[in-house]
Amino acid sequence: MTKPILTVDDSLSMRMLLRAALSDDGHAVAEAEDGMAALEWLGANEPSLVITDINMPGLDGLGLIAELRADARYRDIPILVLTTESAPEKKEQARAAGATGWILKPFDPIKLNSAVRRVIH
Amino acid sequence: MPMLTDLARDPMTIRHNVLQGEFEVSRDPHLVLTTVLGSCIACCLFDPVAKVGGMNHFLLASPPNGMNGLGDDARRYGLYAMELLVNEMIKQGAVRATMRAHLYGGANLHSGMRAIGTENARFAEGFLKADGIQLVRSDTGGVQARRLDLQPATGRVRCRSVQGDFPSTQAARVPVPSGDVELF
Repeated sequence: MTKPILTVDDSLSMRMLLRAALSDDGHAVAEAEDGMAALEWLGANEPSLVITDINMPGLDGLGLIAELRADARYRDIPILVLTTESAPEKKEQARAAGATGWILKPFDPIKLNSAVRRVIH
Repeated sequence: MPMLTDLARDPMTIRHNVLQGEFEVSRDPHLVLTTVLGSCIACCLFDPVAKVGGMNHFLLASPPNGMNGLGDDARRYGLYAMELLVNEMIKQGAVRATMRAHLYGGANLHSGMRAIGTENARFAEGFLKADGIQLVRSDTGGVQARRLDLQPATGRVRCRSVQGDFPSTQAARVPVPSGDVELF
């Protein structure tokens, strides 16, 4: 059975949109509403990929990436950032923290699924 | 949020017109955000704890071809417009639990045509509910355009009906990079 993709976004509407796009390409999808909820889910499950927003209350996307890369269990899981942030310094922070890629919202489902296929091992 | 009244006479007031497809978030006490709405919707958000507020202005709930049709016009559609506004509010210290929302616009200006205004208002109400943001005032529908003012630093709002012909509104000309992918 294929591992699910974990989407992390504080907007339910955005998570629903992501689920629809990823499901269309045959992926199972799990959802978390912020970084803390993602860590909780990851404690008991293994995803093929994490797609995370940046600006979230509590543990934000950059914090989540740092937490995952600091833990040997999650070091090799690809992480795509999906965000409205267009500031180059944010992108650089995400890259430095260990993100695998950066996608600007609003996402194009075809480009998103193409990127997902490229990063899932 | 109390109604906005005397700011228009204050010489320190700076007025910024929020065009279709734009959004603005601020805590500047001298700033008043203003817009004119027909079937479009403006969502005003204010967080009384963070003391920051903002407004967006979107044309339609969703593009005719679904999300595949977004492209450079993305900001004119509800989901992305709401996402941008909420994200900027959060960046400036607001949280969903304490945000308060007002919705304005959504008029059905032309009888006999599809009730786009009603669809827009319904979308915005659904988005706010799904995202856990409390809607405290909704002045939508009807057949008249509205002129809206928001002081984002206090959340004070004034909404007036526009008599006669609906004044034409401009769409923002800011190109939106959409769905750009960069793998590191």
